[in-house]
Amino acid sequence: MVGLSVGEKHFIQGGIAQDLRSDGRKRLTYRPIYVETGVIPQAHGSARVRLGATDVIASVKAELGKPSALQPDKGNIAIYVDCSPTAAPMFEVGRGGEELSTELSVALQRCLLGGKSGAGAGIDPTSLVVVEGKVCWDLYIDGLVISSDGNLLDALAAAIKAALSNTGIPKVDVAADATSDEQPEVNISDEEFLQFDTSGIPVIVTLTKVGRHYIVDATSEEESQMSSAVSISVNRKGHICGLMKRGGVGLDPSIILDMISVAKHVSEQLINKLDSEIAAAEASEEES
Amino acid sequence: MEYVSPEGLRLDGRRPMEMRQLRAEIGTVAKANGSAVFEMGNTKVIAAVYGPREVQNRSQQINDQALVRCEYSMANFSTGDRMRKPKGDRRSTEISLVIRQTMEACILTHLMPRSQIDIFVQVLQADGGTRSACINAATLALADAGIPMRDIVTSCSAGYLNSTPLLDLNYIEDSAGGPDVTVGILPKLDKVTLLQMDAKLPVDIFENVMGLAIEGCKAIANYIREVRTVVCFLLSAKSSISFP
Repeated sequence: MVGLSVGEKHFIQGGIAQDLRSDGRKRLTYRPIYVETGVIPQAHGSARVRLGATDVIASVKAELGKPSALQPDKGNIAIYVDCSPTAAPMFEVGRGGEELSTELSVALQRCLLGGKSGAGAGIDPTSLVVVEGKVCWDLYIDGLVISSDGNLLDALAAAIKAALSNTGIPKVDVAADATSDEQPEVNISDEEFLQFDTSGIPVIVTLTKVGRHYIVDATSEEESQMSSAVSISVNRKGHICGLMKRGGVGLDPSIILDMISVAKHVSEQLINKLDSEIAAAEASEEES
Repeated sequence: MEYVSPEGLRLDGRRPMEMRQLRAEIGTVAKANGSAVFEMGNTKVIAAVYGPREVQNRSQQINDQALVRCEYSMANFSTGDRMRKPKGDRRSTEISLVIRQTMEACILTHLMPRSQIDIFVQVLQADGGTRSACINAATLALADAGIPMRDIVTSCSAGYLNSTPLLDLNYIEDSAGGPDVTVGILPKLDKVTLLQMDAKLPVDIFENVMGLAIEGCKAIANYIREVRTVVCFLLSAKSSISFP
């Protein structure tokens, strides 16, 4: 936990009220964001995102599986987040790290994967099907928090977006056979890879309310002073894909609507910045 | 299976007594007191050190020396096949214990009574030799945190396959079922602090294999010293600029 003196708390709150935060940012400015792709060679796609002192890695692994009987035309996507104890001693086994990991996993699932039907998902789950009802790709997205300085959710969402842009799923040839009951034979190509359409993956903007104002990209010191926070996932078209409120203090409904319009505005800049960073990271990976 | 070709090359193209490429970086986790990344070929681990600080659990406090704790964890994506439940299994507990005992042996714990030092190691990529890589990373992180130590500890493994002693086994060689000797030494004092072996070996061959592992440890020690001097140089350069 962050231990702050009364003076420090006052300084943080006062700075936010005057639109000049402790690190010199304005209320709605993000820290510089750095993206590196292809950091985990044994995964199908991976990325590392740094946001100030916050450092996260996301990896994507694909395994061949069977679609569920209820939704034969859709593949499965799962997101798991793990908070490494290197990030903070409080993430140690049996000391609350698991709780935070679960909270982040569920929030990401809600914001990136859409509802149970798969509608509104960042990745089209029907694109993962190889043979309808028989074979599909199971996508396992793992997030790992290496260093934590606030705003983990936004950083993880950005890392997952970058990792998915970096992902190549092997092309699968299905042996043509007539018997429809058996599991068809598949041949996984190790040369040809398919890329996803990642333009629809939303970014998450978390607005943290401190005092009477709200800020984006809070550091852990600022997060310790928050009354409540709203995480809003917005895609390129400006649609809201998911929303989550944390923190115990109640919010006025009109403020929530105001926050959503602010998040929409901020997300435009964030998506553009992130896309150019991902493109630059991909380019530098190809060079090396 | 043939692990050493007739030309004397291993599966990944190394010679039997050749180590994988080493790479180290200090200060990667901003919030920790000390941290380091250590890579041996495709094996990559991060270590972070918190402390010396107040003991969190009062009942564990030791009145004449520091409490050293260690936790080892593997990322879900670190292995070839995705792992399901990596935390808190017996293997991690055992490795945590080994790392703790090894580091405790070199930290001057009596200088920091009634305090606690936490070492967290996180495996990002596992390709054999994670145990050694973790110890090397932990040494660097402790040095980065400025914790007083008798000497640095370095560790390296060696094995014996196709009647050839092999240095620094990778995952394929490690899972071949041959003996795997992991050695940790204090290079300056020339003392062995960690020695583990599975499977069996005749005594005279064991001597060779262990000797090879010790040579590996010494090579790593040289590399770690190099990294540290570079870092010290950078630090002194930085401070001379900001404080002329």
